[in-house]
Amino acid sequence: MEKKAAQLKAQQAGRFFRKGVIIAVVSGILYGIYSACLLAATGSGEWVFWYEGYAEGSFINLPVTFLMGCLILGALGSGINDFISAIWMLAKAAVKGKFVDFLRCLRSKPGMVMVVCALIGGPIASTAYLIALTMAGPIATPISALCPAIGAIIGRVLFRQKLNARMVVGILVCVIATFMIGSVAFGEIAIDTQYLAGLAIALIAALGWGIEGAVAGFGTSVMDYEISISIRQLTSGVVTLFILTPILFIIAGQVNFFDMLGGAFTGDLFIPDTWMIGAPIVFFLISGLAAGLSFGFWYKGNSMCGAALGMACNGGFSFWVPFFSFLICGLYLGWGFDATGALDVSTGYVLAPIQWAAAVVMVLGIFLIAVNPLDWFKKREKAER
Amino acid sequence: MLPLNYAILELFKDGGAYDTTAVMAVLADTYGSFKAFNSAAVLESLMSAEKNELLTEAHFDLDNTGELHVYYEATDYGKEMIGRYIG
Repeated sequence: MEKKAAQLKAQQAGRFFRKGVIIAVVSGILYGIYSACLLAATGSGEWVFWYEGYAEGSFINLPVTFLMGCLILGALGSGINDFISAIWMLAKAAVKGKFVDFLRCLRSKPGMVMVVCALIGGPIASTAYLIALTMAGPIATPISALCPAIGAIIGRVLFRQKLNARMVVGILVCVIATFMIGSVAFGEIAIDTQYLAGLAIALIAALGWGIEGAVAGFGTSVMDYEISISIRQLTSGVVTLFILTPILFIIAGQVNFFDMLGGAFTGDLFIPDTWMIGAPIVFFLISGLAAGLSFGFWYKGNSMCGAALGMACNGGFSFWVPFFSFLICGLYLGWGFDATGALDVSTGYVLAPIQWAAAVVMVLGIFLIAVNPLDWFKKREKAER
Repeated sequence: MLPLNYAILELFKDGGAYDTTAVMAVLADTYGSFKAFNSAAVLESLMSAEKNELLTEAHFDLDNTGELHVYYEATDYGKEMIGRYIG
């Protein structure tokens, strides 16, 4: 009887562990879809002219610095995405009968902690990430993917989560893999002040997400993850879109925030002869949904696996972002083809062989963090006793 | 009225050991009408709390129907965190 009970318990624990790992891995995949769709949305319609405007040193009608242009467009894109995401997540919570609990949680201490996490991970880290992408290019993604290492350390210090030598080695392998993915960008971009500033800003994103992942992952052991993510996206969306962005507009001397907000959704897709009118809104709707699901699964995965493993599985996004950018922007929208109609790695939308290899290295790293063969045998031995 | 997840964790403040069935029995009157009030969701809450060291396994057994019951109790750290954040 005892042996049977121990076996059933080991099976239950195994199912829970596997579910946590799958959720954390899926969160990384969804992050790739979110990033690629956001890239598609902000590369279409009016956005094309806005980006061209600041690239030439001017922005709409008034001259603004390059950094201010990046800040405004980054915040606008991130804010729109998170606000749409909040609507999706609140609707999901309501359908599942959790809306009243959402309101109760919002007024509680863990709810306030989640709001602070949202501010760190949303307006601060997400905007920093978008700015870094613009200033330093695709290398910003692997830099920002240092967040699992930071999250694991924070989880260890604040929440007593386990972090042993094997897990540290696994995290380092994942970090190496993210740099392999980003190495494609090294050879093509001039290393100047702007590039280095972009790298520094990407580190801010990594730190922000590291803090968010560890704290919110723990918070999700207290709070339902669908409620956590609703609070996160609502806070981030409202603050980024309706507070941060208008402040940046005022600083830049712009008065046309609402005109620009309206223009952000409209216009044709940036491919010729398209049937998709108003394409940015289509991609914003998908990016918002994918972002909400991705961050929600990230929180849930972290709460089920611990910050170290959860964030390492999620860290696969440094592969999934270029992968889905390749599929959606490179192939579907045709941005990955050169003038002769051939796929061209230098467009930034086509995966290089080293990036595929890096994905395999990353899987090995995650495996190292997740599985200790000795523990596994010990558990089996214990269960059989 | 506390959110469902808070209510589940707050139960453990008394130092007792509860499994999914016991948690649901205590909370059924208040939360029985909640869509999220089901044994799979409650078990996942308990196991997540265990993973984050708020709870620890007290003991486990099989009932007459062969169903597994894992009982959890709050750790000292868990009691402190539940007291601090849930009240």
